[in-house]
Amino acid sequence: MMRALRFVLDHSLAVPIGAGVALIWANTLSDSYFRLALPTAFWVNDVGMALFFGFALQEVIETMVEGGALHTWRRATLPVVAAIGGSLGAVAAYELYVQSGDEQVLRSGWPIVCGVDAAFSYFLVKSLVQRKGATAFLLLLAIASNAIGLVIIGLRQPVMDIHLAGGILLIVAAVAVSIGLKQAKVGSFWPHLLIAGGLSWSGFAISGLHPALALLPIVPFFPHAPRGLDVFHDAPHSPHDSPSHFEHVFRVPVQIVLFLFALVNAGVLIRGYGTGSWAVLSGTLVGRPIGTLLSVAAAVAIGFHLPHGVTWRGLVVVAVAASVGFVFALFYATATYPVGNVLGELKTGAVLTAAGAIPTWVIAKLLREGRFA
Amino acid sequence: MMLRTVLVALALLAQQIAGLPTRPDSVKFAVMGDMGTGDKPQYEVASQLSAAHARFPFDTVIMLGDNLYGRQEPSDFVQKFEKPYKPLLDAGVKFYAALGNHDAQSNPNYKPFNMNGNRYYTYTKNDVRFFVLDTDVLDPAQVAWLEKSLQASNDRWKICYFHHPLYSDGGRHGSSVDLRVILEPMFIKYGVNVVFSGHDHIYERILPQHGIYYFVSGSAGQLRRGDLKRTALTAAGYDQDQTCMLVEVAADDLSFVTISRTGATVDSGVIHRTPRS
Repeated sequence: MMRALRFVLDHSLAVPIGAGVALIWANTLSDSYFRLALPTAFWVNDVGMALFFGFALQEVIETMVEGGALHTWRRATLPVVAAIGGSLGAVAAYELYVQSGDEQVLRSGWPIVCGVDAAFSYFLVKSLVQRKGATAFLLLLAIASNAIGLVIIGLRQPVMDIHLAGGILLIVAAVAVSIGLKQAKVGSFWPHLLIAGGLSWSGFAISGLHPALALLPIVPFFPHAPRGLDVFHDAPHSPHDSPSHFEHVFRVPVQIVLFLFALVNAGVLIRGYGTGSWAVLSGTLVGRPIGTLLSVAAAVAIGFHLPHGVTWRGLVVVAVAASVGFVFALFYATATYPVGNVLGELKTGAVLTAAGAIPTWVIAKLLREGRFA
Repeated sequence: MMLRTVLVALALLAQQIAGLPTRPDSVKFAVMGDMGTGDKPQYEVASQLSAAHARFPFDTVIMLGDNLYGRQEPSDFVQKFEKPYKPLLDAGVKFYAALGNHDAQSNPNYKPFNMNGNRYYTYTKNDVRFFVLDTDVLDPAQVAWLEKSLQASNDRWKICYFHHPLYSDGGRHGSSVDLRVILEPMFIKYGVNVVFSGHDHIYERILPQHGIYYFVSGSAGQLRRGDLKRTALTAAGYDQDQTCMLVEVAADDLSFVTISRTGATVDSGVIHRTPRS
């Protein structure tokens, strides 16, 4: 049992398992699925996912502190360019698809295609391309794309004017508490999480901003230790393997949150596809790879160099692998639309982006890249 | 004299549509969904409605969404709405629209749809209250509004209509279970009697669910022939031609007749209102 659990955690299988259960459940016992999923969605999407985004930001920050894999911004420049280009390509393809039809209600859904499922794409590239440079490039691209998506989602939330001042005051108080704890050299993240985190979450909720993003302003002040880019594996006895370290304590709970997230959000009805689903797939499967490759080509043309260990063939595979939006696309969908037919279509599209694994495999094989060399 | 009175009464009876009592003080309305194609079948269904209006003088048409497909410029409103329903509009019949996924978000501002700029709204006709929802996006504000409006209503009949069906045996879309989980408990709690939806391009009458009568009427322009996959939920259905419905509410009875593009009656019946606690 413990070995099975370890295998699930090591291979980030919580999401696929949660999604699989949700899909089967929603399409066999629909009523009981939606009766559970809809009331639970708030606790998972607005509360639990705050831990996930805090956890993800902690990892990003630790790759950037001195001694981390991305200590200098220089190393991250090209993947960031690729992320911007990929997101622009994805949004353009989404918009083109929606504009070509008559379903105007879908026009607000474009942030959904900014999502890249880092874990899914990582394992895809790792198993196909088998080069560290390519997996690092993919991870950075995913992190930057999701950062773009989070900023857009954060800015597009309907802010409630009446409560805005109070909410912002709470967020500022949360940051002040976290800075105070850092200056007092408090070695544990718990006071940050419980006091500042609680204040920040309340501030986000009151002001109308998405509460799942509540830990983002305070995580920069958590205790940090530098880390490499192999974010899905931490060696035992590393600085991250300590009870005072956020990742050590929350590695398993975050996987549980992701399992629950997939369980309550990925249960789409098989007949629930529609224009929104095809628009998401156009954005992610067509627009993103084209945008990614064009932006990298433009950057190389003006003097940037491909990172060590990344070839053009590998880059093509990475660009297609980044078309898998899954968890992030699902999150952006639920943050953009309330329950209804439109959300159903878009979530179906987000789930179907997992099919991006197929063209990734085909292209890797055609280009004889990595394991097919 | 008496013979003459009887003859006139018989003549009037012959003019009536079978299945509809056509009482002078009743609420009479027509139902159509997924109609706005601008194609010939839409015009033919519209002609049937106009012909029916002469014998069954309804003053209201409820539109279940996808009121216009494709481009929605001013000329399209003429081609896909004003022209086909001109005889009814000229006769003063009022249309009340719900939004479907193909409808432009600005359509609530189109005056003849009587939405007054609202995505969701309510109105009454005598002792019948209609609740019109936007199920493209069922935001919390709309759900709260519906609960408040249903709670406040003491009308004898409560009729809801919106685009996506809570129950449907249409092969393409089927039941919107996520919406059902949110809406149906409220419908039960506050005594909604009848629900009309479209989206699936068929006609279907569902067996009463928790005392509520559900209709899918999404073929007044579009048609997905052969798409009705009958199940234990199906009370009646028709997927071989375009259809629309004529409904009459008189006291505790709601009579309905579903007619095809050729004028044939494909379903009819009477729903007797049973007050629920």
